Amino acid sequence: MSAIRRPRPSARPLEPAPPSSWPLAVLLAASLGLGLAAFANFDPSTSEDQVTGRPIARPDNGYVSSDTCQSCHPGEYASWHGSFHRTMTQVASETSVRADFAGVEVTNTHGRPMRLERVGDEFWAEFDDPGWEGPDADRPRIRRQVVLVTGSHHQNIYWYATEHERGLNVLPSVYLIKEARWASRSAVVLHPPNQSLAMLDGHWNAICIACHTTQGKTAFSTPFRSEAFRDQTIDTTVAEFGIACESCHGPAEEHIQAHRNPVQRYRQRLTDAPDPTIVQPTRLDPQRSSQVCGQCHSVWEFYDLEGERLANEHGLPYRPGDELRDTRFVAQPSVDRSSDAIRTLAATDPEFLRGSFWPDGTIRVSGREYNGLLDSPCFRDASTPERTLSCFSCHAMHKPDNDPRSVVNWADTHQMATGMESNEACLQCHEPIRANEQAHTRHAAGSSGSSCYNCHMPYTSYGLLKTVRSHTISSPSVTESVRLSRPNACNLCHLDQTLGWTAEQLEAWYDISSPPLSEDQRSVAASLVWLLGGDAGLRAITAQAMGWTPAQAVSGTSWMVPHLGEALGDDYDAVRFIAARALRSIPEAPSLTYDFDGPREVRVAAAISFLRAWRGTPARTARRAPELLIDADGELRLDVMRRLAARGDRRPLFLRE
Amino acid sequence: MAVSSHDQAPLTRTHVRLGWWSLACFLSLGFLLELLHGFKIGFYLDVGNEHRRLMWTLAHAHGALLGMVHLAFGLSLQAAPSLGGNRQPVVSTCLVGATVLLPGGFLLGGIWVEGQLTALAFLLVPVGGALLATAIFLVARSVPRPR
Amino acid sequence: MADRYFRRHLHLGWWTLLAAVALGLGLALLRLFDVETYQHPAHETRRLMWTLAHVHGAVLGLLHILFGVSLTLAPSLAPPSLRLPSRALTAAGLLLPVGFFLGGVSTFAGDPGLGIVGVPVGAVCLLVAVVATARGQ
Repeated sequence: MSAIRRPRPSARPLEPAPPSSWPLAVLLAASLGLGLAAFANFDPSTSEDQVTGRPIARPDNGYVSSDTCQSCHPGEYASWHGSFHRTMTQVASETSVRADFAGVEVTNTHGRPMRLERVGDEFWAEFDDPGWEGPDADRPRIRRQVVLVTGSHHQNIYWYATEHERGLNVLPSVYLIKEARWASRSAVVLHPPNQSLAMLDGHWNAICIACHTTQGKTAFSTPFRSEAFRDQTIDTTVAEFGIACESCHGPAEEHIQAHRNPVQRYRQRLTDAPDPTIVQPTRLDPQRSSQVCGQCHSVWEFYDLEGERLANEHGLPYRPGDELRDTRFVAQPSVDRSSDAIRTLAATDPEFLRGSFWPDGTIRVSGREYNGLLDSPCFRDASTPERTLSCFSCHAMHKPDNDPRSVVNWADTHQMATGMESNEACLQCHEPIRANEQAHTRHAAGSSGSSCYNCHMPYTSYGLLKTVRSHTISSPSVTESVRLSRPNACNLCHLDQTLGWTAEQLEAWYDISSPPLSEDQRSVAASLVWLLGGDAGLRAITAQAMGWTPAQAVSGTSWMVPHLGEALGDDYDAVRFIAARALRSIPEAPSLTYDFDGPREVRVAAAISFLRAWRGTPARTARRAPELLIDADGELRLDVMRRLAARGDRRPLFLRE
Repeated sequence: MAVSSHDQAPLTRTHVRLGWWSLACFLSLGFLLELLHGFKIGFYLDVGNEHRRLMWTLAHAHGALLGMVHLAFGLSLQAAPSLGGNRQPVVSTCLVGATVLLPGGFLLGGIWVEGQLTALAFLLVPVGGALLATAIFLVARSVPRPR
Repeated sequence: MADRYFRRHLHLGWWTLLAAVALGLGLALLRLFDVETYQHPAHETRRLMWTLAHVHGAVLGLLHILFGVSLTLAPSLAPPSLRLPSRALTAAGLLLPVGFFLGGVSTFAGDPGLGIVGVPVGAVCLLVAVVATARGQ
């Protein structure tokens, strides 16, 4: 007999339910009402193809967009999604627009104040018409919708629909994200004060698109600026906004088709063989892999007008894995200054070389790190591929799964590969130094002076109102500082020391001969020689160094305050901005109320007020030394300062970031 | 002692059959969804289609579970023929309606990821849910409290 | 005969349900203690696979029970031959959850591990079992 009891029909009949059916009717009516409400409130979004007035994302020609990558590569997609490459260009939305647009008036702008407005999901701005060619007094106002955003890390640059085809122009102000403030468009670029920055209709479509999107097609009916903007048809499209998967891996359509088949896909996953349907930059040789980055991170130009015309129509022809120089000229004045291409560029733009390069032809602006790599001995002079430096020696485009850093941290620290934020980046090749780093660096282990980066990749490239590490790997050289007016790594940390002091150390430690030095170079701190007498770029680099924590720890900060205070009166917006930021980082400095982008008289008054306040502080006399241009009474050596300024390099400088 | 067909509640056969066929139908949907995953079909897996994946997964899950609810109801009727009282036809109708509207609404709601038709599909889900809730309420209420 | 199947499927059902519930508890613990091998963002495919293993195991356990109980409560509604649906259901009850689970043990980024092969096979077995049972009504 089974141990499992079989159920028996119930012995007691269940009580009948009450006859009323209204609860059911109410419930049904309520659920129907809920559904109708959802239906009524449903607001379908416009598909990308239907959008007018701005460039659209329309992948074609083998491009399929990153939307197709996530299902097979969720980890890579996630790290890319958290990177600043993705957000290089975004459609204006609540997440991409970091500034408050709701009823805000922006005075830091060109012309009359700009008025911002938020209309539902749309962002609008009213400002002076930049295209007006009549008398300034009659300049009309225009109201335009912000449709695209460049940047998400340091700055938001807003592009508005010009209401002519898909042409865009830039708002007259830029939003500085960390500072949570607006600044006029020209104030965030290091350019001569008497030179206005043209804000041209179609600039984004023709110029920015090349490096800020994936496979952008300018699609102007005639070359940019060859005729009136309003007479041109503009059908700009991109495969994807921002730097997406296919920028580095090439068009993925063939790859997607091949791997839809699960047998093929698993077969590929189980082997370590290269996948012929897609480019894996880390599998390329160091030259080709670095060119994947160099397609954007370099100074380049089309070989000829025909190349530019084809790119306008079909997008740039370069594909990852190709030889970059087959389709574009990469400027490397350190090698080919006298080439026809450089000469042609210099002829059309006399400041082309000075605006991007140091006198020796090495790169001096940020965002062009491939140029730095080209001139680095670790790349240029390497004997084998295994020992050739490439971008991937130190950087990782995807955070490895076993990397303990968060995606946010990894993205914020320049996407350094695991462990490469330390000296390991260099020791992976320069193994003999590992045994005794201190003997090589002559600095205490673990100190800022013992960091390979600080000596061999100092912060001498300018961009985005700050400096980045030079990617021309070099050794500190007083000779270069004298000959090229380029700061050396030693004096960028030992800001209170002279070039003569540095030359003595280098001679004693590394047997490097000192070049002939002037009296000022021997007697005045190098940082002050640069801050007072350098060109605007040099002044910006020096001011930035004065706000750099390791340099502040080494050099002390009290003496910097009056000199940075003087820099608040610099002619260049960028120098003033950086000086003010450095001052705010110095504990001994009085509170600073100062708008680097405000009216001149207000700025000057604020700077004077600051310096007066400084004179009343005890820190004013904390450190007095002749090389710091502070005499025994704690007064500034204004005579020396004026002399250095008078002899300084005041040539107009426009750094092309 | 086996229960004979003569003792069988009238709706038992209906709901047991409905249950197994519903299971067959929505398990097939699950198999189809697995195929979409296996072959990495773009309109199901690409970024932007999360809504469709969710809707169709919900259709599969709810359809299969509703099939099991039919089975449970049908077999419960066999053990307790007066379950639901004189509301048995209502319960039966509600369950059938729920089996069509609930997974059906999710299924339709995933066909178009945006547009008015998506919203129209959403109408079906709360109605189907209400029918299911009604059926279960009527059944639960008819079960005598344990002493 | 029906009694034998009834007992078999009740046995299988409750044990499968227990295993599924245990797996669910295990997954909850992995979440609670933030175990990296499960919670790391890179292991999204594993989380999906093991969740599917848990859900399908539980559902198949219930199906076993329903199948078994239906043989007893409504024997006239049972299919004429129980061997095929019973064996197919038994196979499905093993292959589906185990296939999902093994598919999550080692993954290939967005793809489950090779153990996933058990899932489509198990799904076919389940379909066979359900259709054979439905047709027998």
